[in-house]
Amino acid sequence: MKAFDVVVAKDANEALALLAAHGARAKLLAGGTDLLVDLKSAAQVPDVVVDISRATDLAGIELTEHGLRIGALATHTAVMRSPLIQEYFPALVDASHTVGAVQTRNLGTLAGNLITCVPSMDGGPPLLALEAIVTLALSAGRREVPLGEFFVGPRKTVLKPDEMLLDIVIPRKNLGKPTAFLKFGLRKGQALALVNVAASAWIDPKRQVFVEPRIALGAVAPTVIRARQAEAWLEGRPATPESMAEAGRIAAGEAKPISDFRASAGYRRDLIQVLTARALAQAAAQAASKRKETSR
Amino acid sequence: MSSISMRVNGEMRTATVAPETTLLRFLREQLNLTGAKLGCDVGDCGACTVIVDGMAVNACLMLADQADGRDVLTIEGLATRDQLHPLQQAFEIHAALQCGFCGPGVIMSAKALLDETPDPTVQEINDALAGNLCRCTGYTKMVAAIQDVARSRGAGTVKLPAPGNSGRA
Repeated sequence: MKAFDVVVAKDANEALALLAAHGARAKLLAGGTDLLVDLKSAAQVPDVVVDISRATDLAGIELTEHGLRIGALATHTAVMRSPLIQEYFPALVDASHTVGAVQTRNLGTLAGNLITCVPSMDGGPPLLALEAIVTLALSAGRREVPLGEFFVGPRKTVLKPDEMLLDIVIPRKNLGKPTAFLKFGLRKGQALALVNVAASAWIDPKRQVFVEPRIALGAVAPTVIRARQAEAWLEGRPATPESMAEAGRIAAGEAKPISDFRASAGYRRDLIQVLTARALAQAAAQAASKRKETSR
Repeated sequence: MSSISMRVNGEMRTATVAPETTLLRFLREQLNLTGAKLGCDVGDCGACTVIVDGMAVNACLMLADQADGRDVLTIEGLATRDQLHPLQQAFEIHAALQCGFCGPGVIMSAKALLDETPDPTVQEINDALAGNLCRCTGYTKMVAAIQDVARSRGAGTVKLPAPGNSGRA
């Protein structure tokens, strides 16, 4: 690696002051599983790496008045082990579990997964299907950005050079919303997604219809995307295999998959159709089993 | 230069490193602990796996500076002068390594697993080894070795008939 300085920031304020001072010449280091790989092959490295990996105020997963807050430093392992996430969002456990392997999950953060912003990220779809909001901060102030607006393109987000992500918040209205995440890769371990899909939905218990279905697709467009036409079509429709299959067909038409060495565009479209229908079915099944539990 | 100090295999070590030094290069080149291997250097192969504060990590993806004040365990910290660690014994008995390049990483991943999950399922073992690439022996014997250690935990050593000439000091 080319030489750079490392400065340890013990909290978010210190990190923001360092970013304000160094701007684009600084880079934040949290989990490091993407940054260090990039720096090893980079022609130009930043002057300063601001190490936030031990900034205690950025860690933690907790319930707040706004919803479930996942701190910027929460690793994939922390997500998998969080009792709150296990209870309210098992789909997030599934997604983090498919990222890399144990060693990279112990280091890498969910927030870093979003910030690196590769189209096949596994953390993106469930968070997008749960309408997560990210809190971004400059030394001058904060802004809240819906996750869908955070992604700009492959490896590109709205984050400014001197801005940092503080936390990810899943809004309170979606606490416990039935959600499923499915990924199709070429291997079971350490594989990037050919397609990954997350679906969240409430089911109206009386009419057995979808309410607020949300479908997010990964690896099939420049960023993780919502399948909004499929969502709109599904709203108020009965939770039947036929309607889920049709939503899958519509979602496949909304995506813009590419052909590459991993899979052809046509194969990816087929996968979207099948995985979307399956994810919806799993979300509906979760809704049904939750109802049973509460009526017991 | 960064001044760092960490516990490595139970011993406090203090050193000065260039800030961009990875934990792996620090262990190998400054402490001469060459058990952790430099394989892919991008976090795919797991040959550099060490345990930091109880967690298996890729030493190639961590700066030495980030390990400041932490507890690092490498493969060199397992055996004593008189006895191999039960995992090392089991790997020997099962002939679970051929070329051995992936071995230190595999064994550290297995140790981190058993420390938290004393009686893992095969699926849990597979999951724990997914980040350790072995390209010659394969995983079947490794899984069997790890299961043996899990079964014989508490006994101190692996209770299996040792093949001839396998005893090493």
